[in-house]
Amino acid sequence: MAANEDTFLHLARPLGPAPVGTQPSTHPLTVIVQPQALLSVLDHSTRRPPDQTRVIGTLLGTRSDADDSTITIHSSFAVGHTETTDQVEVDMEYQKTMLDLHKKGNPKEVLVGWYATSSELNTFSALIQNFYGGQGDGTWPYPAVHMTVSTEAGKGVEVRTYISAPVGVTPERAADSAAFIPVPYEIRYGEADRSGLEMLAAAKDREDRTVATITDIESLEHALEDILGMLDRVGKYVEGVIEEEDDTLPNTSLGQYLLNALALAPKVDPADIEKDFNNHIQDVLAVSYLANTIRTQMDLSNRLATAPLTMGGPESTSLATKEEGGQQSQRGGGQRGGRGRGGQQREQRDQREPVSAI
Amino acid sequence: MEATQNPLRGVDFREPLHRQAEPAAGPVWIRQSDIAMAEKETPLKAVQVEGLVVMKIIKHCSQRFPTTATGALVGMDVNGTLEITNAFPLPIIEIPPEAHYEGQHINTAAAAPRAKANTGYQAEMIRMLREVNIDAQSVGWYTSANMGNFCNTNFIENQYYYQKDLNESTVALVHDVSRSSQGALSLRAFRLSPQFMAAYKENKFTTENLQKSNLRYQDILVELPVQIHNSHLLTTFLHQLPTPPPSTSLEEPTSVSSIETNPFLSSNPLHPNYETLSLNIDPFLSQTCDLLLDSIETHHTESNNFSYYSRALAREQNKIAQWQAKRKAENALRASTKQALLPEDEWQRLFKLPTEPNRLESMLNSRQVEQYSRQVDGFVAGTTGKMFAVRGNLLPGEGWVGIEETQESREQSCCEKWEEVCSARHFVDSDQTRGATF
Repeated sequence: MAANEDTFLHLARPLGPAPVGTQPSTHPLTVIVQPQALLSVLDHSTRRPPDQTRVIGTLLGTRSDADDSTITIHSSFAVGHTETTDQVEVDMEYQKTMLDLHKKGNPKEVLVGWYATSSELNTFSALIQNFYGGQGDGTWPYPAVHMTVSTEAGKGVEVRTYISAPVGVTPERAADSAAFIPVPYEIRYGEADRSGLEMLAAAKDREDRTVATITDIESLEHALEDILGMLDRVGKYVEGVIEEEDDTLPNTSLGQYLLNALALAPKVDPADIEKDFNNHIQDVLAVSYLANTIRTQMDLSNRLATAPLTMGGPESTSLATKEEGGQQSQRGGGQRGGRGRGGQQREQRDQREPVSAI
Repeated sequence: MEATQNPLRGVDFREPLHRQAEPAAGPVWIRQSDIAMAEKETPLKAVQVEGLVVMKIIKHCSQRFPTTATGALVGMDVNGTLEITNAFPLPIIEIPPEAHYEGQHINTAAAAPRAKANTGYQAEMIRMLREVNIDAQSVGWYTSANMGNFCNTNFIENQYYYQKDLNESTVALVHDVSRSSQGALSLRAFRLSPQFMAAYKENKFTTENLQKSNLRYQDILVELPVQIHNSHLLTTFLHQLPTPPPSTSLEEPTSVSSIETNPFLSSNPLHPNYETLSLNIDPFLSQTCDLLLDSIETHHTESNNFSYYSRALAREQNKIAQWQAKRKAENALRASTKQALLPEDEWQRLFKLPTEPNRLESMLNSRQVEQYSRQVDGFVAGTTGKMFAVRGNLLPGEGWVGIEETQESREQSCCEKWEEVCSARHFVDSDQTRGATF
């Protein structure tokens, strides 16, 4: 029943019998899936009840403003349903409440369709599809998107997206029949998602599937190692071509590409580089120095404000003065705090200049 | 409640079996108390975040950037490791317009986790999530940050609210949007330390109390290591996506444009992020400076308050001393004339000592500045390495053999050198601060 994965013809959708006065949009349609939604579907699939082969849920997202031809799926949530051989039951109450709750958190997202965690399309799919695409609570007059994510054990995860057109068999069968039309989809992530996906990808080759968060310098190291690896590979290839080894074939376009890349290296006067380098490094070091100085100063001033009055004596005298009474030490603390503040002020004046210079 | 026992029974994608060790059935409140009891024996040691949660947090936080975004976390505490398995954003509560006139600038989003209206939302959401077999136990909340500026009263109050009322084993996840955009993902988990919880409960952050309890700003927050975990299905999926350049040989390209458009070469979404190699340092530095100046401002206000207080206190005490001397003289006079003595402790009624300002704000400020300086140190380590590399690359006439080697060796030596320098400076700093604790 499922559509062939490899290729399909993507056309304007056939028109169904539309009610008078409304004109459903017939543009070709593309679907953009954000990783969050997909991950959520996969998570739901691992949490399905043991006796169910597939689970379904609602897809939420946005439509492109201009012509509704692009649907972006931002997120999804699970909806409980039970399926037997001759009937399907979807918890509509749950779906409605959850949709309301979700809208409070993400006011911009609207209902765009539903997902199922198996590639199969059957009568029940048509039934649910007609519900999601219907008037009232559904996505009408926009088409509802149906996304299938196959999660069969031992096989790859296959994602497909469909929209549907009504097919008229008989009026009685209209509710549970629909022609599913495959539409192209794209998994697209934002700039902000990059760092997160990178971390997930780092965990994928490990047996325990976990990875600890890394610091900036570690990520720099990884990136450098990677680049060095690539440089090595290119270097080897170029060497092979120059040495006229048998297994490396020279290729003009590759050579041209490499030449283009090399041409990107700027030609700058060494004196300029030296100057810029020194300026920048001074900036960086100055800020670091200042941050640490400020930290120490604040710490010192706060400590002095709260430290008991001891005149720098050993620990025993500090205890003795402490017992003399809170008030005195408080006053002493206050005065010392004041002095600490004086130092702070001075220091503050000192560093305002370089900071503004940067 | 049979839902939570083991959602994976009979399924091949089996998660580790610890979930089976959970009590199988029964109302949730029993399980929660069980877990709470178990928690007392094994304090939280680490936080394990599901990939889904990472992506959801990133999405929510970057959508709301630069304003703060907050949300709730659900999951489970397993032998000291807090597994966070799902998250949902909390809506921003509209405050009634009259609240604006009271001159109180409340950051509604930052206060959302402990807002009354959201408690209901959260309970409702968790109830709904339980129906579809998601771990229905609140384990904390998350917030977005901008260059590490999260140490504020809101943060403390939220986490206090969670740790006190709901459940002991809760964490606050902080996702730093600005820092994540510059390279590595910045996701950190924090809890309030038990000492701070006790102090905050009494809400006495006076000088005297701080001396007694020896509470320092370093003791406010405890950071927990964060791990990111993928489900089996997700691992399968990730392995299917186009990844780093294939190691096998590709077809011969026929033109330059065919190289540029080749999908194998152009799209590798999960490849290491080369943003980290960017040399654009100015935004970071200027932002850090701005934030530091803000902190100085806060510090200044606080220390002004305190010195005002100490002056007022000194003045009052002066007056009291004068009054006492006068009373003593009067009493001496009365004693000599055999009159009844006047009470000498009447000053307690007559004079009122000023109340000491709360030291909490300045403590938090110190913690914040420490956070900034750590951050800057880390940044300096990376940037200096990069800058030396660039110089080495563009000025090859300094006795280096080849560009690649130059870059590599310089890079490494610089990184090492700078890490050394930075750690050395940390030592110096901590020595200084230690020296300050008389």
